[in-house]
Amino acid sequence: MSPATLESYLVVGAVLFALGMVGFLTRRNMIIMFLSAEMMLQGVAVNLVAFARFRGDLGGQVLVLFILTVAACEAALALAFILMLYKRRKSLDISVWQELREPDQDPVQDEEPLPDAPKPEDFQHLTPAGVQPPGKEETQEGSHA
Amino acid sequence: MVGLFADGEPERGVLPFLKENGLVLLPCVLGFAAIYLLLPQARRLKPAWGGGLAALALVLGAATLVRAGMSSVETMLFLAFAGIAIGAGVMMITQSNPVHAALSFALVVLSTCGLFLLQAAPFLMAATIIVYAGAIVVTFLFVIMLAQQEGVSNADQRSREPFLASLAGFVLLASLLCILQRSYLVPDENKDALDRITADLDKLTKAQTDADVIAVLGDPQKPVEFGKRTPALVKDLIALFSEASIRTESNKLAAAWNTMKRDDVKKTSAILLNAVQISRHSHGALRLDNVPGKENYKTPGHFAPGKLPAGNVAAIGKTLFTDYLIPVELAATLLLVATIGAIVIAGRRSEELR
Amino acid sequence: MFDFGITCLWLIPLLPLAASVIIALFGRRWLPDQCHLPCIAAAIGACVFSVIAFSAVASEPQPIAFGKDLAWISAGDVKANFSLRADGLTAVMLVMVTFIGSLIAIYSAGYMHGDPGYPRFFAAVSLFLFFMVGLVLANNFVLLYACWEGVGLCSYLLIGFWFAKPSAATAARKAFLVTRLGDIGLLIGIMILWTHSPGHSLEYDAVFAHADKYPSGVLFWACVCLFIGAAGKSAQFPLHVWLPDAMEGPSPVSALIHAATMVTAGVYLIARCVPLFALEPGAQLLVAGIGGFTALLAAVIAVTQTDLKRVLAYSTLSQLGFMFLALGSGIHFGEHKLAALAVTAAIFHLFTHAFFKALLFLSAGSVMHAMGNVIDMRQFGGLRKALPITHWTFLCGAAALAGVPLLSGFWSKDEVLVSVYDAWKHSPHYGGTYCLLFFSALFTAGLTAFYTARAYFKTFWGEEKLPPEAGHHPHEAPPIMAWPLRILAVGAVGVGVVLGPTHLFAKMLETRWAPPHLAAHPPGPNVVLMVFSVILAGVGIGLAYWMYVIQPSAAEHLARRMATIYEFSSKKFYFDELYDWTIVKPITILAHVCRIVDTYLIDGLVDLVGMGPAIVGYLVRPVQNGLVQFYAILMALGLAGFLLSVLLR
Repeated sequence: MSPATLESYLVVGAVLFALGMVGFLTRRNMIIMFLSAEMMLQGVAVNLVAFARFRGDLGGQVLVLFILTVAACEAALALAFILMLYKRRKSLDISVWQELREPDQDPVQDEEPLPDAPKPEDFQHLTPAGVQPPGKEETQEGSHA
Repeated sequence: MVGLFADGEPERGVLPFLKENGLVLLPCVLGFAAIYLLLPQARRLKPAWGGGLAALALVLGAATLVRAGMSSVETMLFLAFAGIAIGAGVMMITQSNPVHAALSFALVVLSTCGLFLLQAAPFLMAATIIVYAGAIVVTFLFVIMLAQQEGVSNADQRSREPFLASLAGFVLLASLLCILQRSYLVPDENKDALDRITADLDKLTKAQTDADVIAVLGDPQKPVEFGKRTPALVKDLIALFSEASIRTESNKLAAAWNTMKRDDVKKTSAILLNAVQISRHSHGALRLDNVPGKENYKTPGHFAPGKLPAGNVAAIGKTLFTDYLIPVELAATLLLVATIGAIVIAGRRSEELR
Repeated sequence: MFDFGITCLWLIPLLPLAASVIIALFGRRWLPDQCHLPCIAAAIGACVFSVIAFSAVASEPQPIAFGKDLAWISAGDVKANFSLRADGLTAVMLVMVTFIGSLIAIYSAGYMHGDPGYPRFFAAVSLFLFFMVGLVLANNFVLLYACWEGVGLCSYLLIGFWFAKPSAATAARKAFLVTRLGDIGLLIGIMILWTHSPGHSLEYDAVFAHADKYPSGVLFWACVCLFIGAAGKSAQFPLHVWLPDAMEGPSPVSALIHAATMVTAGVYLIARCVPLFALEPGAQLLVAGIGGFTALLAAVIAVTQTDLKRVLAYSTLSQLGFMFLALGSGIHFGEHKLAALAVTAAIFHLFTHAFFKALLFLSAGSVMHAMGNVIDMRQFGGLRKALPITHWTFLCGAAALAGVPLLSGFWSKDEVLVSVYDAWKHSPHYGGTYCLLFFSALFTAGLTAFYTARAYFKTFWGEEKLPPEAGHHPHEAPPIMAWPLRILAVGAVGVGVVLGPTHLFAKMLETRWAPPHLAAHPPGPNVVLMVFSVILAGVGIGLAYWMYVIQPSAAEHLARRMATIYEFSSKKFYFDELYDWTIVKPITILAHVCRIVDTYLIDGLVDLVGMGPAIVGYLVRPVQNGLVQFYAILMALGLAGFLLSVLLR
């Protein structure tokens, strides 16, 4: 009979927040970093909504609205920045930007070799129209013959 | 009933801490291991290990949350949405392909919206779906596709300091959960006391005759029984309120109880019952301003505690444009400025692109 | 008249101060060649006001006082006012200082013409005049001490006026440090007086009125300390080494500060404190002994010096010794109240000495001016015809110094001798010592005549000899330098006759300064003594004439015959070397040790401490690797650690 209690929602919010933080700290793709940050915001939003329900105060929901607003602004600016950075270095990797280190420090580089890179997926290609598909000439001719 | 809410000083030290919070810490440790294993790294185990650990942690966590008497539809929905949200969150931060990560994020947002809906926030649900899933995720995907036409990059298959970062994240999470446990998960003996008080008060509110009241409070004609029974209930309540650090209220209550008439007993009992209900969820709530009988819910955004109606969009609108008018205007300005900024920053052409 | 006299009291120091400030602030820009004007105007103005104040003092039985309530320092029990006072002693000093100061300022306008430090010179001279008149006008020991240090500062600035010259800079430093030593004595003396004076007052009247109630030992040591201060400033025996070196300053400075005024501040101090000294025969004997010894020592040294200004400097030492000898002879015993007489003799000698010694220095400056800054007597001679004015003025000063009858030095020196003689006759315990001092003083007087005549004859007589620096035609002093010389010459010749035998000076001091219990009527002139000193002077001058004019080889012959004494005398009895070995060298060695400790121990420790942060920085520098996420991880770890510590607390 009793609904899922306040603390359950708080737990969910905390987990989302922590996951977002871990993602922000580890992932090197700038876009995923930003998605992680947004996930942290989602965790906070869950908390606020739960409090609003529990306290019977819509202020919590209004705060979430403001979070939405700020998140939208943040996303717009972040995307703009990411695009700009991408134009400079042709990479979304945050680790290419480490010029602000101490002058006598060597740049951090990836030492460990990656395992075999996954093979690019072999998509089915359609035969371009009006061009003879290569390598099938003989069989065709053979069949004709 | 001295022990009601008054836990006394919690024991210090690591071992008592582990004993107290073991149920909360175990899923955290498991989750830490799972995330560490799942994060993209140069050398990694098969994802099945990490996935299994994550699932185990999730189930354990859910088990600590689920209680007896929590089998309603709402609870089931909550568990489903929460599970999907957390699972999708894990997916998002562990997928090496950014496109998959973005899609997982969309799933997180959607399930969060489900939680919003459960918590009587339909407007927020709609807004979040539109803004996040509709706009932000699509834009992100657009950028990813623009930037990574050659597929998964080298950097996406590595993580920066996975161990330290997961450690930091999960220590933080464990701390939060321990604090939540300390604040909200009421120990069993306290729960029994609360149940008894609730039952007594419930009977008092529903009492039709003096005999019913006497059944609860004891017969005033028989001072021994009355003195035996009443003070127990009153003492509990007084303890409850003094725990809530409203000592003046508790003193007033103690004084009023002794001079109270039968009808007043019924009315007061109803109010007290409400207060006790709230305190079942959290005795922390009593520290705030919703003291029984206090009528301060006048502004549009306020409802009785725990009584937020599901159809509250109109109330949100009223609140936004009365209480929060200036912040709304500021937020609008912020949006405008951010838009202009984004255009200026992204529109700057670098030399090599010309 | 009386009210105007009070106004004069604060106008006298104010004028030179204003001149100094004006020159220092605006001189270089707006008055580059007219810097002497404010200084001369202020000096003459101060002189005029001094004369007015003098007449005011002469017409009033009570001293003029000003600013008794003008609080200056009030810190706990130490209180001092800007209180000024003029009595007979002050008035005499004031007139002397401002008159000589005016003449020297005028002379300097010519002498210093064209010097790049022209404004600086006159600013310092004005400042010196301010401090000097402040010193004699002060009515309490604190103000006196402040001005005392002020004149020391100005002396330092002016000795080191040509600071680019190493010898001048060294001399300035030496003068400053040696006089500082004396100043510490003075300061301690003032502290002793402060401790025991009623209500911790340092006003003269309060201190002196209470003098006989001091514990005996305390008074003795207070007097000794005051005398140490006086000996430092007036260059008496143990601390005398700075004055000859101070001749590195410009000649007008030597005349003003190191002959006429500042060095007499010590004499003034002892004279002012005679109410204290009169009660302590032991202290007086010390003053007399040091004074007599310095007089003899300096005279012996002066005999062999070849630098004209140094001869004059040692002569100054010697004459100052005479003054102290006189002051120390002012015994006060029973019906023999000699204190006031002795002070009169000392101050009278101070007064006349200021005239003729300033004259001698200015004349020497004129010689130096003409000789292209050469001052060694061996390099010139027979300047009688080339520099007629200078010759005559120098002759007047030298004759006065030598004690030629009827000139001013004759009268004042005679009074000094009389006071010592009286002390010998009347001292209850120390008669023998005073007898020794008396004969030593007589011998010194003869020596004085000898070396003065020697300097005169070597410079102006004999065959004409010019140093190459002078060019072929030595030029006589321009009028702006010549006129002060003439006026001073008149003073050197006439001041003694006007004031000495007529007892004008003695009456002024006795009626307008001397405390009643110290006063006594001046005795008649001691004719026997006069004759005796005339004979001595004549012998000295005659000997010098014979040795340096008639028989020039005799001097060298004599020097060879008395080689040891000659050597000691010309090397100033090795005092500089002695001090160098006993004080300067050990301190230098100590300084070197300190430097080594500082360089290797303290600096090492400091460097070690400084290396700590560097090492820590080196260790934690890898944290700054430029990766945004790494920073964020550190932040998150910190937050997690903090939360854990709160939880586990």
